Amino acid sequence: MVTKTEESQLNKLENQVDNGGGGAWEYLCLARKLKVRRSDKVLKYGLSILNDSRKRSSLGPDEWTLYEQVAVAAMDCHALDVAKDCISALQKKFPESKRVGRLEAMLLEAKGSWEDAEAAYSSLLEDNPFDQVIHKRRVAIAKAQGNISAAIEWLNKYLEIFMADHDAWRELAEIYVSLQMYKQAAFCYEELILSQPTVPLYHLAYADVLYTLGGLENLQTAKKYYSSTIDLSGGKNNRALFGICLVSCANKPNSGSLHLGKKSHCTHVFKKNSQNTHVMKKIPNLRMFGPSPRLTKAVIESPR
Amino acid sequence: MAGAGGGELKYELAQNAYVKLVLHALKHKTSAVNGVLLGRTSPKNENLVQIEDSVPLFHNHLGLLPPLEISLIMIEEYYSTRGLGIVGYFHANERFDDAELGNMSKNIADHISRYFPQAAVLLITRSLKLYRKGKIAALLCRFVSYASMAF
Repeated sequence: MVTKTEESQLNKLENQVDNGGGGAWEYLCLARKLKVRRSDKVLKYGLSILNDSRKRSSLGPDEWTLYEQVAVAAMDCHALDVAKDCISALQKKFPESKRVGRLEAMLLEAKGSWEDAEAAYSSLLEDNPFDQVIHKRRVAIAKAQGNISAAIEWLNKYLEIFMADHDAWRELAEIYVSLQMYKQAAFCYEELILSQPTVPLYHLAYADVLYTLGGLENLQTAKKYYSSTIDLSGGKNNRALFGICLVSCANKPNSGSLHLGKKSHCTHVFKKNSQNTHVMKKIPNLRMFGPSPRLTKAVIESPR
Repeated sequence: MAGAGGGELKYELAQNAYVKLVLHALKHKTSAVNGVLLGRTSPKNENLVQIEDSVPLFHNHLGLLPPLEISLIMIEEYYSTRGLGIVGYFHANERFDDAELGNMSKNIADHISRYFPQAAVLLITRSLKLYRKGKIAALLCRFVSYASMAF
């Protein structure tokens, strides 16, 4: 996960390179370090460095890391011939390397030959059963084929071994949410909050899932987590503010003093943060929340 | 302008609306995206629904209720002053070969159709096909040509 400062730094560098200001190598290094997925830019600038033999030789030993980065970016952009060239260059230099073997298996996966890729990954895993990237590629293959249940199974097995991988927990939670398995998604977010209690994103996502589950207790807990998100983010998180409004409205659907109660509650929440007064203007007549028949919780809940 | 017929019901999709949604899908190539269609029934012909505008909604956490509720409330309030109502739902799946309308999209679409019986669902796939589902007509549209890069 990338912090705001890192992301703004990356965007600044990207703008600089886009407008011809140089700094492509720094941009590529930063993108590699932060593990962001900006494959089209990485491909463009990486190729511009690699195709120029002077720039390439000035990189020294980092040239091979760049080949690897550009190969992965090319596969993401479906430029398979570029990827093939990079991988052959790497193969010539490192003939027996596991890392290059991994890239070749990824190329098979990018071409769509799922069985060959699976076989390649299994054989690589036999030699090195603790390679996280290969485990994750297997999950990706299952997901790409549309086999979400297999993806969940692989991902669970992976998380049993590598319990500290936060991105994997997030991915699992998102898969569960897309399948409307909210209880399991809540479990994933609970794991994330336990391991990283000061990241407001997880509190917010957990509160959203609890609200979607519904039920009085879940709504109360959701309110607490929205509050903790506001606390952790210094009051700047609009979604959490909206969440508090929604929960208060959901808790008192038919009371007479509804309009005043909710309005005062919500404006109190907003007044706490002067930067968010634009949010207050955007929220329309709050009387819509209460007895309005337009939106009920039944929107998402599927009839099972 | 693209139009398609589904029995007596006809839908007219404004270019602005379509382009906004496709651009939103293009920007977030790696995730499923959501959106609402806004419009009205034509005053001259009540079997014609004019979809004049659209609002792209989300590109992650499509299944979460709070953002959806807030966005629908705000959209309704804003567009009702302009005379437009929510007439449909737009969805584009994560994988390019997935032409299925998921459970959650069906629920949202059903809910919209409760308030506007001629609601439409716009699902972006690769082929040009017409698909009817009870009161909700799903239009499967072809990607515009500039979207032919890797999906």
